[in-house]
Amino acid sequence: MTSTGRDSRLPSRIDAQVLENRSEGGNNHRLVLSVPDWPGAEPGQFIMLSAGARAAVERSDPLLPRPMAVYRGHAPAAEPAAGRVEVLYRVSGRGTQLISEALPGQRLRVVGPLGRGFPEVESDASAVLVGGGTGVASLYELAARAVARARTTVVLGARTAADLMGRDDFAGLDIDLQITTEDGSSGLRGLVTDALAPLLRRVSRPSSTTVYACGPTPMMRACAELAESHAVRCLVSLENNMACGFGVCLGCAVPARRGGFALVCQSGPVFDSNDVRWQDLP
Amino acid sequence: MSGGIDTRVCLAGIELRNPVLGASGTFGYGSEFEAFFDLRRIGGFVAKSLTLEPRWGNPPPRIAEAPSGMLNAISIENIGVAAFLEEKLPRVPDGVAVIASCFGTESAEYAELAARLSSSPRVAGIEINASCPHVKSGGIEFGQDASLLAELVRRVREATRLPLLVKLSPNVTRIADMAMTCEDAGADGISLINAVQAMEVDVETRRPVLSNILGGLSGPAIRPIALRMVWQVSQAVKIPVCGIGGILTADDAVKFLLCGASAVQVGTANYLNPLAALEIAEGIQSYAERHGFARVADLTGALETRSV
Ligand SMILES: Cc1cc2nc3c(=O)[nH]c(=O)nc-3n(C[C@H](O)[C@H](O)[C@H](O)COP(=O)(O)OP(=O)(O)OC[C@H]3O[C@@H](n4cnc5c(N)ncnc54)[C@H](O)[C@@H]3O)c2cc1C
Ligand SMILES: Cc1cc2nc3c(=O)[nH]c(=O)nc-3n(C[C@H](O)[C@H](O)[C@H](O)COP(=O)(O)O)c2cc1C
Ligand code: FES
Repeated sequence: MTSTGRDSRLPSRIDAQVLENRSEGGNNHRLVLSVPDWPGAEPGQFIMLSAGARAAVERSDPLLPRPMAVYRGHAPAAEPAAGRVEVLYRVSGRGTQLISEALPGQRLRVVGPLGRGFPEVESDASAVLVGGGTGVASLYELAARAVARARTTVVLGARTAADLMGRDDFAGLDIDLQITTEDGSSGLRGLVTDALAPLLRRVSRPSSTTVYACGPTPMMRACAELAESHAVRCLVSLENNMACGFGVCLGCAVPARRGGFALVCQSGPVFDSNDVRWQDLP
Repeated sequence: MSGGIDTRVCLAGIELRNPVLGASGTFGYGSEFEAFFDLRRIGGFVAKSLTLEPRWGNPPPRIAEAPSGMLNAISIENIGVAAFLEEKLPRVPDGVAVIASCFGTESAEYAELAARLSSSPRVAGIEINASCPHVKSGGIEFGQDASLLAELVRRVREATRLPLLVKLSPNVTRIADMAMTCEDAGADGISLINAVQAMEVDVETRRPVLSNILGGLSGPAIRPIALRMVWQVSQAVKIPVCGIGGILTADDAVKFLLCGASAVQVGTANYLNPLAALEIAEGIQSYAERHGFARVADLTGALETRSV
């Protein structure tokens, strides 16, 4: 697959310190880390985060680190000690439960920044960002940068209002923000695609419009199909199981349209939706 | 040598700066780790298993977490021997021991791979992967049948003069017998263990968690099994043994050395901590210093088995 974004910064392994870790309602949490020597990240890049605070003895269960988008923290550390990375995450299993129990002052292992993020939004273009569930976390920095360059619309969706991630942060940006919830507890009742479809129908210049989608696979696939039917380019940020995040386990492979596979952690997580063999994704 | 004591070891004729290698399939082609540390600070690595032609692996999901471990069914996805020799090997800094791992469905393929790899002065040794737990043909078929294994090792032995390691599968009844078979057939050393055949099910979807259904279990969950097998094999053969299986820390590695391993390979631990191999190498050295060993090599087989 052709790579879409940039991977300017070499990853490193860093012991990060928890500055804040708090519930944001529902199962959503916000983690703020102090990350020494943090080189910064591009929108859409991610980190691997140890599944719980580090102790004197290496934790063996749960074993694997969890991939998490860099929500905020795209600037390199101004001083070596002062790097700051924010993660928005949902507690959905054992690893994220342990992460949610990490207290300020405790340490989490960070490997990153990883992957290739979104390409820069073209000036005078239209950007439609669509985030579902935890996928919202991959889009904030992209939205924050897009506002200065392009007409930016953001659609955020969740099952119910309490599950919406990062809503207040997005509301603080100068964007057209639309909310969808499956139970109608906030915004439009329905799926993000119910908001995306009318937006795409109103697009006057399809060639300078791009949809950026991140969320559950069926959601991204539906966004990609909608975009295609309007001749609009669609970039997706894929989620897949990962063991390493830096290209050595080959566990994160997704079927590629041109044949064979592409590694989500290395060629992605951001892909042009046309490069993915959607029908072969689990 | 670094610090006070001598960290060098010799594994089947391969001189290593210290006894820690990255394990095949967990260390890529080496260059992936260069962002994290200078590869010259570990013994070296075994590259991802190679086939004669490039090969794609299984569809997703290929991996899943398991208690104190992980399951994988990658299926030897690799760039093929030609691209390895032309593109990957030249990028490895001098002074890093690179062991090439061979995989095939017939012994002739393994022999051809070994011959082609032996043409490069940068290949320090050959490891026969006779143990991939989830590929339908090849690999484990050899590792589970003593006469096939003997034939395979003989064919590869004829094809190369490089130090020859055979990587054994734990999915056998008597591991020591397999090791002796390899020794008799001309192997210079034994690497063990590969992943343990395993499976896991998602009860919500009522599906196996891996697309391949079966996979290989690796990580700390298999360490005591690996340790037992390394102990048994090192009792049974005279050739050196390279210990593999669930090593996360220097203490874990020391256990394998004490049970008779001359060197160790770090696998799954690289995924969670890309500095794992380096930290383990440094930790082994400080263990040896703390316990009054003059050379790290003296740890090999230093297990106290007298009853207390
Ligand atoms: C590039 C990328 C960026 C991500 N960014 C975020 C984010 O910013 N915020 C957030 O809340 N979530 C994010 N996710 C999803 C997050 O990684 C999973 O929700 C998390 O790993 C689940 O772990 P657990 O301990 O809760 O679940 P468990 O069920 O205990 O996990 C078991 C295993 O499955 C893996 N796994 C389970 N669900 C997922 C999933 N959806 N994606 C990938 N692996 C999974 C786990 O990593 C672990 O190895 C991202 C995933 C990827 C690939
Ligand atoms: C994702 C993955 C891929 C692997 N690929 C290979 C391979 O290509 N060749 C090989 O000989 N062993 C392969 N292995 C096995 C490891 O080298 C090692 O023998 C095994 O994982 C046990 O060690 P560990 O518990 O330290 O990981 C692989 C293991 C994993 C987890
Ligand atoms: S997560 Fe290991 S190769 Fe992508």
